[in-house]
Formats: sequence, structure tokens, C-alpha cells
Amino acid sequence: MIWAADAKERRALIDSLPQAALVADELPLRANLSVLENIAIVPQYRQNLSYAAAADQAWDLLAKLGQTGCAFKRDPALDCVERFVAKLLRAVILQPPIILIDRPALLLPDIHYPPFLETTLQALAGDCEDCRILDYAWNAPLYAPR
Amino acid sequence: MASPQQFLTRVGTGALEWLRAWGRLLAFGARALVQTFTPAVYNSATRSVVLKQIYFTAWQILPGFLLFAALLSYVIIQIVVTTARAYGLSEFALEVSVRVVVLETLPLLTVLFIALRSGAAINTEVALMNINNEIGALEAAGVDPMRFEFTPRVISGALSVYALTLLSSIVALILAYVAVYGFQPWSLADFSRVIAKIFSPVALLMLTCKSLLFGLAVTLIPIRAGLEAPRMLFFAPIAVLRGMVRLFFVIMFIEVASLALIYM
Repeated sequence: MIWAADAKERRALIDSLPQAALVADELPLRANLSVLENIAIVPQYRQNLSYAAAADQAWDLLAKLGQTGCAFKRDPALDCVERFVAKLLRAVILQPPIILIDRPALLLPDIHYPPFLETTLQALAGDCEDCRILDYAWNAPLYAPR
Repeated sequence: MASPQQFLTRVGTGALEWLRAWGRLLAFGARALVQTFTPAVYNSATRSVVLKQIYFTAWQILPGFLLFAALLSYVIIQIVVTTARAYGLSEFALEVSVRVVVLETLPLLTVLFIALRSGAAINTEVALMNINNEIGALEAAGVDPMRFEFTPRVISGALSVYALTLLSSIVALILAYVAVYGFQPWSLADFSRVIAKIFSPVALLMLTCKSLLFGLAVTLIPIRAGLEAPRMLFFAPIAVLRGMVRLFFVIMFIEVASLALIYM
């Protein structure tokens, strides 16, 4: 967990981790691509994989989180959990050294997000080594004590 | 009322901004062209975008477009042939109709059709991508938007305009033969002689260059206009309007310049 006191400190914390792949409200999915395509495009583009091979990787990740039901939906048809999962997996498949989930309250406004995040990140334990959550300090009571 | 100095300042600022916008467009076009001829740019993702775009821009509209082009071509050819006969100039009917239809009308018709259909869609899509920060999101995911989103559209736009012009021209040539000689194969030699006279290497080069320039304009200008949209949703229609007006003038400029080069 990384706690920020205000927006300025939050920005500074993000800037201090340039190697991190950001999962944030201001980084939307490509609207004309499905969830599967949004995730698969990363290995397809970066590793020159065929679409079938890249989509297999993306599908496996979605299956780990039990979210294959949203694979062929596009952004406007997604609920907040599905959209968050798509954004998170787009970052995970990039295999960055750090994944930084910025202000999860903005990404998951309709659920009690701390336990959901914990479960989700546990399911992806083998795929992301270092996943950090950046939230405002006033949301700290929402999280279970560690 | 503004003083002359304020008026001149305003006009000068506007002119400078106008020149800068064209400069950015040319720089963007140059970058897209360099990427087009760089083999390393092509990977599985960019190839699939090129194919998708050719499908949407050319293949999807092919039957309807060819039917319309054939109808229009046949009407123009008939007008030219009938008028030529009326003035006792039948021997020029084929040459004039092919020059009017294949060299001038069909390339312009094709690019206007693609501009209205795909150019407007590309302009809107890029403006919305820009406003919603989808471009930033792609960059954050390690995907270069220029290479993944824009260059493939430029390539497919140029190929689509060229291919549709070529196909509609072939249809028009068949119709011109039928209109002048009727349904019989015995005049193919005469027809070939006239066609060879019209399509000299210079004329073919001009036609190819014009089609490719049309194809570049029909994608580059809408993409650039979309990218220039400020990041506020209500600017999306303004970006499309600006892009389409700019595209119209560029298409007309290319057409007039090519006419001037050929006939003056």
C-alpha cells in the first residue's frame, strides 16, 4: 500500500515510479476493441505474436480471475469490475517490474474494493511480482489491518 | 472597434496558427510515410489493423460503390457519345469519354466517397481517442499509437483509394466500349489503340500519383485534425468540421493542380 495525503503527493508518488505500469481511471480501454483484444494487443504488438497466441494469453489471464464472460464486450458494456479487470490485465500482460493501481475507489466505485483487490491480486500472484495500491490516506480504514 | 494594430495582430496570429497547423500536418505526413516504408514497423498488430481498415474502407463498400460508379460512368459516357455524334465528331467520342470519366471523374468520385464515409469516421474516432486519452493509455501499455493506430490507417487509405479507382476505371472502360461499339468483340483493336493513346506513361503516372495523394489526404488530414482537438468532448464536432473542410480543399487543390499539369 502507498498512501497519499493529497493530489499533489499522489502525482509525485506516481512520477517517482516511472517503471510502473499504471492502472488508472485516466487510462481507459480502447473503446472499439473488446476486452480480450485490449489485453491481447500488448503481446501482439510488443512480442509480434499472432493474434491467436496473444488472445490465448489474454484468455488465460481472464480465466484466472473468472472473468471470461466479459472477454468479447467493449468498454461501454462493462461494469466497473469488468473494466477494472481489463485494465489490470492489460498492465499484467505487459510484465512490468511494478504494477501501480491508482485510486481504486475511482476504478471500483460500486463495491467494497479492498477485499476484492486482495482476492484479485492473490489470483494473479504468479503473474505480477510487485503490485502496489496507491490510495488516499483517508481511505486507510477501509483496508484490513496488516 | 478594434484598432488597426489590434486587427493586424489578430490576423497575423491567425495566419501564423494556420501555417503552424499545416506544418504539423506535413511533419505528421512525413513521419507516417517514413514508417510506411520501414519494414520494422510491420508486425502482427499493425498488419491486422491495415487489413481491418482495408476491409472497412474498400471491401465493405465495393459492390455499392462499383454499381454507383458504373451508373454514373455510363450516364457520362452516353452524354459524351450522343453529343459527339450530334456534332459529327463520333471518332473522338471514345477518347473524350475515357478522359472525362477515367482520368478525371472516377478518381475524384472515389476520394469524395471515401472522405465522406471513412475520412469522417477516422476524424471522429481519433478526436474521441484523443479526448478520452485512449492514445495516452496505449502509450502507457507500451503500444506506439503512431505505429499501431495511425500509420496503418494511412497505408490502408492510400491502398483503398487506389484500388477502388482502379476497379471503377476498369468497369468504366468496359462500359465505354459497350457504349461506343455495342456488344460485339470485333472493335477491340480500335479500342486498344485509343486506350494506348490516352494512357501514355505520363498519364498513367499522373493518375497513380493523384490517386495516391488522394489516399494520403483522406486519412492524414482527418487523423491530424482529430489529434489537434483539445481534450474536451464538445470539441469533437469542431475537430471533425475542421478536418473535413481542410480535406475538401486539399482534394480540390490536388484535382486542380493535376488538371493544370496535364492540360496547361
